[in-house]
Amino acid sequence: MPDSLKAALARFRRSHEFWLLAVILLLCAGLGVANAQFLTMQNLFDLLTSYAFVGILALGLLVVLIAGGIDISFTATASVAQYVALAFANAYGANWFTVFAIAMGTGLALGAINAQFIQKLRIPSIIVSVATLNIFYGLLIFVTGGKYIYSLPDWFATGIFWFEFDWGKTSSYGVNLQILVLGVSFLITWLLLNRTNIGRQVYAMGGNPDAAQRLGFHTFRLNMLVYCYMGVMAGAASLVQAQLAQSVAPTVLVGKELDVVAAVVLGGASLSGGVGTVLGTFLGLTLLAVLQNGLILLGVSSYWSQLFVGLVILISVSVTAWSQRERRARRVRA
Amino acid sequence: MNRRETLKLMGGATALSVAGLPSLSWADTPKEMVTVVKIAGIPWFNALEKGIQKGAKDFSINASMVGPANVDPAQQVKLLEDLIAKKVAVIGLVPLDVKVCEPVLKRAQAAGIKVITHEGPEQEGRDWNVELIDSVRFGEVQMERLAKDMGGKGEYVVYVGTLTTPLHNKWADAAIAYQKKNYPDMKLVADRFPGADEIDTSQRTTQDVIKAYPNLAGILGFGSNGPIGAGNAVRQQRLQKKIAIVGTVLPSQAKALINDDIIREGFLWNPTDAGYAMVAVASLVLNGKPITDGVEVPGLGKAAVDVAGKQIKVDKIMRINKETVDGLIAGGL
Repeated sequence: MPDSLKAALARFRRSHEFWLLAVILLLCAGLGVANAQFLTMQNLFDLLTSYAFVGILALGLLVVLIAGGIDISFTATASVAQYVALAFANAYGANWFTVFAIAMGTGLALGAINAQFIQKLRIPSIIVSVATLNIFYGLLIFVTGGKYIYSLPDWFATGIFWFEFDWGKTSSYGVNLQILVLGVSFLITWLLLNRTNIGRQVYAMGGNPDAAQRLGFHTFRLNMLVYCYMGVMAGAASLVQAQLAQSVAPTVLVGKELDVVAAVVLGGASLSGGVGTVLGTFLGLTLLAVLQNGLILLGVSSYWSQLFVGLVILISVSVTAWSQRERRARRVRA
Repeated sequence: MNRRETLKLMGGATALSVAGLPSLSWADTPKEMVTVVKIAGIPWFNALEKGIQKGAKDFSINASMVGPANVDPAQQVKLLEDLIAKKVAVIGLVPLDVKVCEPVLKRAQAAGIKVITHEGPEQEGRDWNVELIDSVRFGEVQMERLAKDMGGKGEYVVYVGTLTTPLHNKWADAAIAYQKKNYPDMKLVADRFPGADEIDTSQRTTQDVIKAYPNLAGILGFGSNGPIGAGNAVRQQRLQKKIAIVGTVLPSQAKALINDDIIREGFLWNPTDAGYAMVAVASLVLNGKPITDGVEVPGLGKAAVDVAGKQIKVDKIMRINKETVDGLIAGGL
């Protein structure tokens, strides 16, 4: 094994992600033994499909958190984007490209509004996004009267289905819209954070905003980019959700912010900025998904399931905190 | 004119108008009734509002509807307080949390305001609670329908909005008890699942349930999005021949799934009738009509009344199936 790889492995062993991965593998092994249905392709595809919405939003939020901000208006942004895009498609006709362009464009515009207030007026991002959450959502409800859209264009309702293969009796599986968009989002976010100059600047700005500014970073442009990115992700996620639910319901997305925040923070991103990885977010999301899924497969009573979810989150976060404290203690001793 | 003078003038004007208005308008303007609902702007309460408006016209009551923008009991309390300050004649309420609303309703009653609730059989501080269905009967009817499709045997599961939503759980209790008594060959394979208020949650739950219980033959969904989510999942896996779905749904939302025989039948009460009934009962109360068992509620027929328990029930279960769905949608549901 070359030294660089060995060093990377050693670094990984000390990271938050390593412990999270260990918890997940342990959980999967246990669930796989307990229920033969758990470790099947069918279950994997089902999980990816149903958690795509939360996952895509989590990637947007990850970037915002790393930059040292927070945004909780994304559910309202998603509701607006979804409604605008699919109402347009119903009225004037559209195709995949145009609905995604409209939804992501709407998200981008709303994200830019957030960034304007946060950066120009120096209002804490949490306050701005609480306010805009209510404004976006309130306007949507006012304009639409809360009407659901049940009839979606045929091509949208059918969705996409690539690399189809049969699995067992009657079901067939393939790469659907949810999995495709989730995959692309992971790839782009990873590239943005790890392979671009902008990504490194986002980390630096989140870690120490004053230093970043004195170094001559364009913090306004960076923040603009970060909140617009969140908006674009919310737009993409909203269509993924609408396709899965086969309807547009303006009132159901708002209120799901905490699921997304939980996945990102569980994945090791810090609420105070500068810290967080795409891998961590993926693992945080996986842990939440596997838990919910596993508890039902195990036949755990729904009256108990929230308790278990809470416990496992607490345990996995404690393990990381404990390992980090140990390491710090060792360093002090040395 | 300086600022202080302006303020004084404005204050005087307000005092004048407050003192002057009631004496001018008391005699010929109709009494005011405002109904506070769980959340403004969703289809269900838009339909309820239509009933309130119709009732307002028929009974000459100045009736209207308000509701919080989010599902938040504290905001309902705020709205109720405003109505006490406004001195309306009747407050209507579809409570989110009976405990939270109780003190403010008692204050309203102390101020001489009549309180009519809907979906609030346990609400303290009310004059009457109006229901369009009998909770026990509502659960039993749906179990009866599910049992028919399952041939009276096999495994089934039940969904509710949350494990603490009072009505959903009451229906579920009644349905399960009915099954145990009448269909011993049917089996509830897991405790009831929450999440039936959201399409994607119930869709995900259904995918998992199908895997965990491969012999599943029936899903009973309480909470208007439960059968929809379950239906989407069953359709995706092409299991509609094997798994019967029955539950509470909105007609326009469920139309496609009902026409494809995935949701075998939906059950509901008509929110427009509910809004109308609240105004009708308010009119009986305001006119001092005695309310006893078998009283004729205008427009809705005879009601079962529990005077001591302050309950008025009109049996109006609405069945949503291939024959009725189009008519109901045309009626705005």
